[in-house]
Amino acid sequence: MPLSFAPATTSKMLRSIVPKCQQQAAAAATRHCSSRRFLSTATAQTQSSCRPMTTASQRCLRSSPTSTYNNSAAYQRRYAHKTVEEAKSRYRTGPFSWKAGALFVLTGGGLVWYFEFEKQRMQRKRVAEATKGVGRPKVGGDFELTDQNGKPFSSADLKGRYSLVYFGFTHCPDICPEELDKMAQMFDLVQAERPGALVPVFVTCDPQRDDPATLKTYLSEFHPSFVGLTGTYEQIKDMCKAYRVYFSTPRDAKPGVDYLVDHSIYFYLMDPEGDFVEALGRQHSPDAAAKVILDHVKDWRGRIKQ
Amino acid sequence: MGIFDYFSSSAESKRAEEVRKGAVAPDRSERKRCWEARDKFYGCLDKHNVIDSLNGDGKKTAERECAAENKQFEQDCAAAWVTYFKKFRVADYQKKKTFERLEKEGANKM
Repeated sequence: MPLSFAPATTSKMLRSIVPKCQQQAAAAATRHCSSRRFLSTATAQTQSSCRPMTTASQRCLRSSPTSTYNNSAAYQRRYAHKTVEEAKSRYRTGPFSWKAGALFVLTGGGLVWYFEFEKQRMQRKRVAEATKGVGRPKVGGDFELTDQNGKPFSSADLKGRYSLVYFGFTHCPDICPEELDKMAQMFDLVQAERPGALVPVFVTCDPQRDDPATLKTYLSEFHPSFVGLTGTYEQIKDMCKAYRVYFSTPRDAKPGVDYLVDHSIYFYLMDPEGDFVEALGRQHSPDAAAKVILDHVKDWRGRIKQ
Repeated sequence: MGIFDYFSSSAESKRAEEVRKGAVAPDRSERKRCWEARDKFYGCLDKHNVIDSLNGDGKKTAERECAAENKQFEQDCAAAWVTYFKKFRVADYQKKKTFERLEKEGANKM
């Protein structure tokens, strides 16, 4: 409430309707009000000399509690506008100021950012949970295979971490080597941010030719951390079936006969519980794929083995 | 020296022979060599406007014009790969054509 210009208007009004004595008192009161910051003591005398004067002094007194005298900070705050012009201009601009504008922009920007963040998180959650629960397509499952060192390796060994599963074969002409190089880059990118959160797995579709030793030599060219899995034809067939992977390996290829295997070329991202999360394909660059994986890893609320 | 050269070169050619037959999987450098030979062969086919080097006129032209490149290609790659790459060239070309046709027809990109 801008009080500083009130005395000026009231005194003018008063002059036209009140008797002279009161006018004097009003003027004195006005002086008192406007000069209060000097803690004038003269007003007491003026008031006592002219009794009927009440309105102006009351007006003034109402707005001058005793605390004003010992609390100059509160008093200063009430007189935010130093001049009438300032107050009027403040009135014209209304409640808008650069402070209000900045607050508005900040709040708005913050809300938009939060909304977008939550939207993306929910979208990822939906992708990750689309394969959980009842009546959903089930990709992945339990398996018992052999790793590149000839040791048994089962689905239980992948629990507790995210895994990136890729199917291929060592005689693959062009796509698998390219994709495996990409997988190595992806793995390094994920590893840089979340060490140990992801296990890269290569499963051969050609168990007849890819024994553990062959896999070991082959994979060591791509990344020392790759896990290579092989097994009997039946084991691999079950594995491919569980992952909905198409492959065309002949069951009884004669030794010495060269053949190629047609197979699906997706990376399967599996969560620490062994459930399928998302398929990454040729359209993902290593950076994009690593980002997708990292986002899912960050969303995971459970424990991830280190 | 000469005898060592003989042994090492025979070991090399044995390995190359195994790769060609598909007995062993080629390693990184062998893959690279094969891809380079393939690209040279493709380059020659491009020069003579041949897409399918396995059938019909394309085969004749390829045999006549790109014999050297083809020989190197077969030398550096597994036999199964050579066939695969020759077929792949045709399939890849048809895929491109199909995409172009669909685009012309105003198909929506998914």
